[in-house]
Amino acid sequence: MRITITLLLTLMVAAPLAGQTRRPAPSAKEPPFFLHPFFLASGEQFAASKTFDAAFGTESLRPFWGGGVQIGLRRNLFVEIAVSHFSATGERAFVAGGQAFPLGIPLTATITPFEVTGGYRYRLSKVIVPYVGVGVGSYAYSERSSFNDTGEDVSESHAGFIVLGGIEFRVHRWVGVGVDAEYTHVTGILGDAGISQAFGEHDLGGTSVRVKILVGR
Amino acid sequence: MSSLDVVIGVGLPGIDRGQIVDDSRVPGSPEAARRHGLEPGSAVRERVGAGGARVMTGKLIVRFRDGLSLAERQAAVALASPGALLERPSDADFDLVRLDPNDDAEVAARRLSQRADVEYAQAAHRLRTQFVPNDPLYRSNQWNLPLIDMERAWDIQPQAGSAVVVAVIDTGVAYANATMTVNLAAFTVEGFRYPALGRVTIPYAAAPQLGPSSRFVAPRDFVCGGTAALDFDGHGTHVSGTIGQSTNDGVGTAGVAFNVKIMPVKVLASIWDVAFGCAATDGGSDDDVARGIRYAVDNGARILNLSLGSDGPAGSAPVVEDAIRYAVAKGAFVAVAAGNSFEDGNPMQVLAEIASRVDGAVSVAAVDPQKRRAFYSSTGAFVELAAPGGSTRGTGAGSAIWQQTFDPNFSDTFLLPLARFTAPRFDVFAYVPYQGTSMATPHVAGVAAMLMQQGIVDPAVIEKALETFATDLGDPGRDPLYGFGLFEARSALRGLGLAR
Repeated sequence: MRITITLLLTLMVAAPLAGQTRRPAPSAKEPPFFLHPFFLASGEQFAASKTFDAAFGTESLRPFWGGGVQIGLRRNLFVEIAVSHFSATGERAFVAGGQAFPLGIPLTATITPFEVTGGYRYRLSKVIVPYVGVGVGSYAYSERSSFNDTGEDVSESHAGFIVLGGIEFRVHRWVGVGVDAEYTHVTGILGDAGISQAFGEHDLGGTSVRVKILVGR
Repeated sequence: MSSLDVVIGVGLPGIDRGQIVDDSRVPGSPEAARRHGLEPGSAVRERVGAGGARVMTGKLIVRFRDGLSLAERQAAVALASPGALLERPSDADFDLVRLDPNDDAEVAARRLSQRADVEYAQAAHRLRTQFVPNDPLYRSNQWNLPLIDMERAWDIQPQAGSAVVVAVIDTGVAYANATMTVNLAAFTVEGFRYPALGRVTIPYAAAPQLGPSSRFVAPRDFVCGGTAALDFDGHGTHVSGTIGQSTNDGVGTAGVAFNVKIMPVKVLASIWDVAFGCAATDGGSDDDVARGIRYAVDNGARILNLSLGSDGPAGSAPVVEDAIRYAVAKGAFVAVAAGNSFEDGNPMQVLAEIASRVDGAVSVAAVDPQKRRAFYSSTGAFVELAAPGGSTRGTGAGSAIWQQTFDPNFSDTFLLPLARFTAPRFDVFAYVPYQGTSMATPHVAGVAAMLMQQGIVDPAVIEKALETFATDLGDPGRDPLYGFGLFEARSALRGLGLAR
């Protein structure tokens, strides 16, 4: 948590300073206001990796799909609103001695993050635009298993924090490709019971590599 | 030498007489006194040893260090004890030493165990089933299965353990139709001398509700010898019913893992085994139990049910401990009755104490329908789990565990008035209420079989799962009455989700 706050503060201070010292060339100036819808694909390494590995098998990155819109504001600031979705089907398991034993009972978990991020775009050139941002999100989590009775499925939402940084490549006048790394921290859903409790993992967030296809000038 | 002659497969099907009350199993009743007062023709070969343990006379158990020749072992026995080394029994990694019945087996074992070439030597404890007689009230129900949430567990696993072999290491099982002939000698009960009946033919039938003969694998009899592990008591058949009674067939009662394969392994003698000349006394001894455990595991059993036990000092049965560790190392889970001796001074339970020290073996205490400790259930640090064992005190037979077994009116004819004494019949069955940690243990064995079918094959992990999903009873956390609590079948089989 302390690391997250430090990062947030650093980014909040660094963004305007960078804006003052690295003023882009006039030819590279963006419009003062723009709207870039985007398609999003990401692969996330969950902080609760043992929990997810136990239920879904070992994977280094787990896929999210979604989209959103990036809104350019004055002074290279931007706001990004994104919705994505993760769904996986695995097995319920039992954990003993730090090892998971799958039980063959189907389990499906979904995560639907709704994220709002604000940040700063560094207009280094006409085609390369690094950016950083911080934000908050609401993370809807659901978990369904075969043989569950009423009340045994899980459906919860909880807020989380976001820090991201990446580069947007303007590959066409109307198309950009953004590649960024996003760190999310989401507590309050995992860790109180289930496999996550057995492994002592409380964070539904993690680190993801996101690829965005943006449309618009 | 027994004159018992058994022809398996020749006989009529069993007769089901429905529910009955067995007065001979009512505490304090004259019938119960006679049941326990039977004296076989030969003297009962046991004495009370150190720590209150009931010790068999006439033999001791010794395990020599590896590499000793037969001659070296014989020489060691000759030097250290008054007995003689017997031929090594099957399914054993230990030897038996024959002693004079007047020799103190514990003293001889201590002397022998001081030798450098001896790993251990012990007296053979006399083991008994962990069955407690019940009250005579008549009301059949199976409160015990809902208590551990079996109905929802069957939803999860309708196969109910079909791929798993459960060894019932007990008094045998009524698993086959047979015709027996035996020369029935005279014997005495409570001063009544029952006459010799000469050569008699005794009908024997498989318990109708234990399912087809195809579900029974590799039976073995360590009491009478041979492969016909037939139950002449009813205990092993009752225990088998709780593990795997035919279920959802519209008849009788249900069992926990009703599709498992059952391996009848007979290590405990009944009164009739004594009368038939198969055993010197009823009950069993450590060496037979150890051999039964090893035989079961070597022949494919993955779950072992030991509804038996003995009082005595902790660590006094290394031969059984070795066998249990051998079983677990070979991938078998072991369920052991925690004992019924609470009201007899609550002594240490030798086998349950072993189970409590072995990951993959679990000792099982008994609770009543209200999830309270059953009045007889032994307590101590060795108790690991609790399961329904019944407790009819003050509540009647409806609070016992009901399963199909022999109708004692036909099988236990030694309880009849002398004028009505006849040879027994083992082809008449009824639903009979029993209670005891013997009855609690097969609940755990059955669910362990289902867990194994569910994919958890490590015995230690099965134990952990059963303990983790137990409902804590009594003092918070593990306690001497309930261990980790009342185990719950559905929770154990269902396991964990990510967040719940």
